[in-house]
Amino acid sequence: MVTAPPAGTPAATGSDARPGPASSPDALLTAAREAFAAAPPIGADAYHRYARELAARLTADWPALTRANRRDIERAERAGMPPVLVDRLRLTDDHLPRLTALADRAGHELAALTAADTGRPAGAWGTLRRVPRPLGVVLMVYEARPTVTVDGALLPVLAGNAVLLRGGKEMADTDAALAATAHAALRAAGLPTGLVTVLHDPRRALLRALLQRPDAIDVLIPRGSPSLIAHCRDAGRIPLIASGGGVNHLYVHASADLPLAATVTLDSKLPEPAGCTSVELVLADRSVATAYTAELLRQAERRGARFTVRLDPSVAPPAGGDPDRIAPLAEHDIGREFLDPVVGVLAVDGPGQAIAHIRRHGSGHTEGVLATDPDVAAGFTRAVDAAAVIVNGSLRLHDGPKLGLGTELAIATGRLHVRGPVTLGSLMTSGWVVEANGELRG
Amino acid sequence: MSAVHTPDRLAVADAVKRVVIAESRLSVPTSRISESEPLVGELLRVNSLGFVGMLVRIEDELDVVLPDDLFVGRTFHTVGDLIDVVADGAEAGR
Repeated sequence: MVTAPPAGTPAATGSDARPGPASSPDALLTAAREAFAAAPPIGADAYHRYARELAARLTADWPALTRANRRDIERAERAGMPPVLVDRLRLTDDHLPRLTALADRAGHELAALTAADTGRPAGAWGTLRRVPRPLGVVLMVYEARPTVTVDGALLPVLAGNAVLLRGGKEMADTDAALAATAHAALRAAGLPTGLVTVLHDPRRALLRALLQRPDAIDVLIPRGSPSLIAHCRDAGRIPLIASGGGVNHLYVHASADLPLAATVTLDSKLPEPAGCTSVELVLADRSVATAYTAELLRQAERRGARFTVRLDPSVAPPAGGDPDRIAPLAEHDIGREFLDPVVGVLAVDGPGQAIAHIRRHGSGHTEGVLATDPDVAAGFTRAVDAAAVIVNGSLRLHDGPKLGLGTELAIATGRLHVRGPVTLGSLMTSGWVVEANGELRG
Repeated sequence: MSAVHTPDRLAVADAVKRVVIAESRLSVPTSRISESEPLVGELLRVNSLGFVGMLVRIEDELDVVLPDDLFVGRTFHTVGDLIDVVADGAEAGR
């Protein structure tokens, strides 16, 4: 059973972009572009102040933010939304330290990203410096997750951009309260409040109209369901930073350390079974498929985890395994995301077959190989083209902070501008400053 | 804005099936999905937070404009339930 969410209700707080003349596409985009034009250059002190102010104001406003969130939660519960979805809307006290730490970290990263380039010689006549520049006006389209509104109000703005945030209408009150907090932080930092616009108008016509404005929107960042991303990708001509789904694989070579392979599999699935870096299908060399599955089930049992293996019917099930934890792998399980603590195991005859399967069914998000034979691992990394390829480790390592790449807004699977973690640095572009000292081209 | 045509039920069914397959992160042909297939079950995993994306995608596929509140307050059990509502919405949008 799927119950539709209630109609969007007018936001209780906040100051922008409700249905009406002020929320016409022209008005919204003009305001955003004016704010972008009025904003100080990237790296200015005002952006560092904004990171600090946002952290402080999230803390100060937390009681009001959680009250607004409770209204959204109550409305969703009254509408019969399943508890698992209601939980996605919920702002809990665990979120606050994570959000303030994010603002703090991002502020520090900004300093490194905008440090002055000392320049390099341009011929014998001048100096060339690469300087960071903002992307411009960014439109983020996402479903109902309150922390994404904070991510969106923070990271693109620190990179000097203006941002329009179009979240799910189920979060109307929370998003309005978060908009008020972001605006207060912008004002305190000395930045134009128009750098953050939360769109409260839930009509799809507005979204469609915005997607037709490549003249005024520089970058589109959709996060959410496959249909939403597909629509954003196909509907307009605005450059896109998007993550596709994560139909991710682990290839277990005959040389693999099988206990490690099982541990890696469970770490790639159990903490976030529906996450975009979660493993869906393990391609195991036929000679080790039964032994690997036995180890996988043993470790899952030891953890007391709810976990099911969908096993290739051509693979002998391990002796003594709990039959409740094994189901047959079906044809429709190939190329799917289970979104549950479920992993498929398919036998393959060597790396060539594994790589061919990944090329056909993978989504280019995160792929992994488990092998002690370095030639196999090297061949896999050469042949598999994904945003990240992990050798002998968890697929969930594909994460900006964990990799030391910095805070991330999403994981991109596109081929241009950014692929992998969308960090603060990915929300900027760059230009050149040429100290020419009177040099002419001639 | 009004729709320029009304797609027949077969076209609606095909579009709805394509969208629920994508939403469920599946890679199967539409022929694999019957109208009695549960929206949340062994095969499909559709949830209401994806409805905005589904509606715009269905509009794209059918080249129609559906009412903003088409799904509001409704409960869906099967693919057929969704097809019925979209077909009615497309007809109403003529």
